[in-house]
Parts: sequence; structure tokens; C-alpha cells
Amino acid sequence: MHLRNIPLILSCETFMPTSIPDVTTLLTAAAKYLEQELMPTLSGYHRFQTRVTVNVLNIIRRETELRVAQEADELNRLRRMLKHDGTLEALNDELCELIRTGQIDLDNAELRAHLRQSLADALAINNPKWTLVENR
Amino acid sequence: MSDGEFIKRLRAALVRHIGGPGTIHNLQRLTGGANRTTMSFDADIGHERLELVMQLSAHVSDPLSGITPEIGTANQARLMMAAQRVGVPAPKVLAILEPSDQLGEGYIALRIAGETLGPRIVRDDRFAPARKVMTRQCGQILAAIHRIEPTEVPFLMEQNAAEHVAAHRRIVDYYGFRLPALEFALRWAELNVPSKQRRTVVHGDFRVGNLIVGDEGIRCVLDWELAQIGDPMQDLGWLCIRTWRFGGAAAVGGFGSREALYAAYEDASGHAVEPGHARFWEAFGNVKWAIDCLRLGMRGVQEGQIERSAIGRRIEEPLWDFFNLIEGRG
Repeated sequence: MHLRNIPLILSCETFMPTSIPDVTTLLTAAAKYLEQELMPTLSGYHRFQTRVTVNVLNIIRRETELRVAQEADELNRLRRMLKHDGTLEALNDELCELIRTGQIDLDNAELRAHLRQSLADALAINNPKWTLVENR
Repeated sequence: MSDGEFIKRLRAALVRHIGGPGTIHNLQRLTGGANRTTMSFDADIGHERLELVMQLSAHVSDPLSGITPEIGTANQARLMMAAQRVGVPAPKVLAILEPSDQLGEGYIALRIAGETLGPRIVRDDRFAPARKVMTRQCGQILAAIHRIEPTEVPFLMEQNAAEHVAAHRRIVDYYGFRLPALEFALRWAELNVPSKQRRTVVHGDFRVGNLIVGDEGIRCVLDWELAQIGDPMQDLGWLCIRTWRFGGAAAVGGFGSREALYAAYEDASGHAVEPGHARFWEAFGNVKWAIDCLRLGMRGVQEGQIERSAIGRRIEEPLWDFFNLIEGRG
């Protein structure tokens, strides 16, 4: 590798031009407007729909922040459990088939821990409050 | 049909089925479910002004209809009449519409005042006295519903627990939706179906949100469209799932304990409740709600409607609760 190429590679990784502000900032601002300014002026149907829209924007923001790392972890757990490589989709399909056909025991501790982690990850995006209070 | 034509037909139906003069006041369309429209109005009958509701079946083509039990508004009315006869506080039906009424399928019933919104029932101070008696009332009302003679309601679909589980698997397969946690829950349900079941009328959606509540307690049981013949423990389990607690801490609708519910049901029905059996239905109730989230979410996507679409993102909530239940953390 020529030395003169190094700054170029670095610039691609660290200074790649991106639009400003980033998605998180924009979504936060949009949700803040709807929740703090618009909602107090609304009632009934539109107030409720706006509440739902705020929730949806927050889901999108959390998915943007969390999902990439979650998918990498999920893929690693699946590879470990199924003992071979593959895409996330293919490995998930394979796991579904193993469960459905009884080829994996429902008492398998690794399976249960994996499923719980996957649910916890999804809830961290879709409704983080749900896992805070344990079911009674 | 124009509003004027609609009111003309409605008045004629009132005169034909209930009595004249049938003058209509304050006609309002209430928020309805996906499968029906609910209207509220007052009508002059004889020298009285009656407060009424009308439910009309909506025409939706659902490729999944017939897989799980579901009845139209006319049969709901017939079932509510049978429920009234055994002492269930169901809506008092005054008329089942006929084709000659030209209003579609539906019924007219007396309107009952009270609260149906879960968060208010579970949290408002005003309902504190009601919450004290509602667990017992739920046990008594469910026992009465389960006493309805099945031969009086021959239109109800019968599914035993295994068939009910299999029907829900078919819904998931229809969508081609593959989520390992849901596969696990369905497989668990298939392997843990209760071996002994009674066979009774089952309400199918008995929970906070479908009850009209007054300061003194439960006034009326609504939403009979998922009624079926099946294992009565299904109703006890469904009542306890966390989604229907609306933020309340206690298992039964956010206001009562499972033990109190089971005891009230045993007293009223004379049938022992085996806690593991009821817990199966609570666990599977969570699976059913997860599948409902899928179904409602897919419908929302089809309609491009945000509220229903967002329900699709709730699928992990009941699955999380399912794991807590089967692992004894519930």
C-alpha cells in the first residue's frame, strides 16, 4: 500500500460527507414538536393519532441507534447455537424449523437465553418500558 | 345510502320491531371495531324516550375468516339474549334486524351508561369501590357465561384447546411470518395442551376494555364476536394477560389476584380451577395476543393506517410475558 493512500482511506472512514443533522437529531426534533407543541392543542381522535405518531418516531430513532449492533450479536448467537455460518435470515429460518419440528428441545438453556435476548432487544426498540416492570 | 334514507329506514325498523312513533334523536356514530359499526341514538317509543345502540356488521373480506371462531352481529345478539337468560349482564337486545329492514346485519339494544376505557377503570379513584368487587364479579359472570346451554347457541364454532392452538398456527403460516420466539411459544402450546377440558360456551374476549363499569362495579359485558364452544379456562386466562391490566399491577385486569378470581369462579360454578390449567390459557392468551398484533399490524399496513400498523410492533410484549409465565417469573 502506498503511504499516500492512507489519508484517503482514513478520510473515507472518518470524514465521509454526511448530511447534517443526523437522523437521531431530526427525529428527536420532530417528536418534540409533535409532543410538546402540537399535542396540547389537540383532543380526541387527532390527539391520539399524534401520540401514536410520536411513539412511531421514537421507535424509528431507537431502531436507527440500536439495531445494527443487535443484529451483529444475534447473528453471533445463532452461529454459535447452530454451529455454522449463514445470513441472519437463513439462520433464523433454520432455528424456526428446528423448533417447529421438535429437533431442538424447548428446555435448551442456550435457546431460551437467545430468544429472551432477542425479545429484549426488540423491546428496547419498540417499547423499552415493557421489560422494566416484571410480569406479575 | 344517504343520511336521510338511513334515518327513514331506521325509524321504520324501530316501529316494526319495538314500537312507534320511533322518532330518532342524537344519532351518533361511535368508534367501531374493524368488523362492525356502532351507533348511539335516542328514540321515542310509546311515551318514553329510550337510549339505544345499534351494531351493524361491516363487510370486510378477510382471507382468515373462519379459521378462528368469530360471529356476526345478529348471532352476537342471539348469544347475548341467551346470556341474559342465565343472569349475565349482557346488553339487553330489543331487536335483531331483518333483511326487510334494509339496514344490513345488526341489532338494536338498550344503551348502558358507564366507563369502558381501561386506564380509567384501572387507575381513577372514582372506580376504587368498583375495583374492590370486580374480581369477584368477573368470577361470577364467567361462571354464568359457561352455564349457557350450548344447544341454545348452535351457531358457535367449537374448538378444543388443540384445535384452537392449531388454528392460530395457521394464521402465522398464512402470513409466512417467522419469529423464533413465536415458533417456540406455539410449539410449547402444542406440547402443553390441557388433557382434561370441559366444553362450554366461551366468551373469547372477556377483559377490561370490553366491560362497562360504573362506580359500583361491572354493569355490562360487551364484545361477544369471538365467542365459541371450548375450554372455559380460556376466559380466565385471557382476563389475566398483562396487556389488559392497563398499567395496573394486579394480575386480573390490573385490580385483582388470580387466586381471588379462581375462588370466585369455583364458588359460583361449582367447578374446581386447577391453577396450571388456567395458567396454560394465560400463557397461550399471550401467544394469541401476539398473533393478533401480527394480524392487526398487517391490516394496518394494507390500509396505510398508522395506529393499526404500530400494533404490529407490540408483538414482543406478550411473548416476553409468555416466557415470564412459563418460567415461573409471572
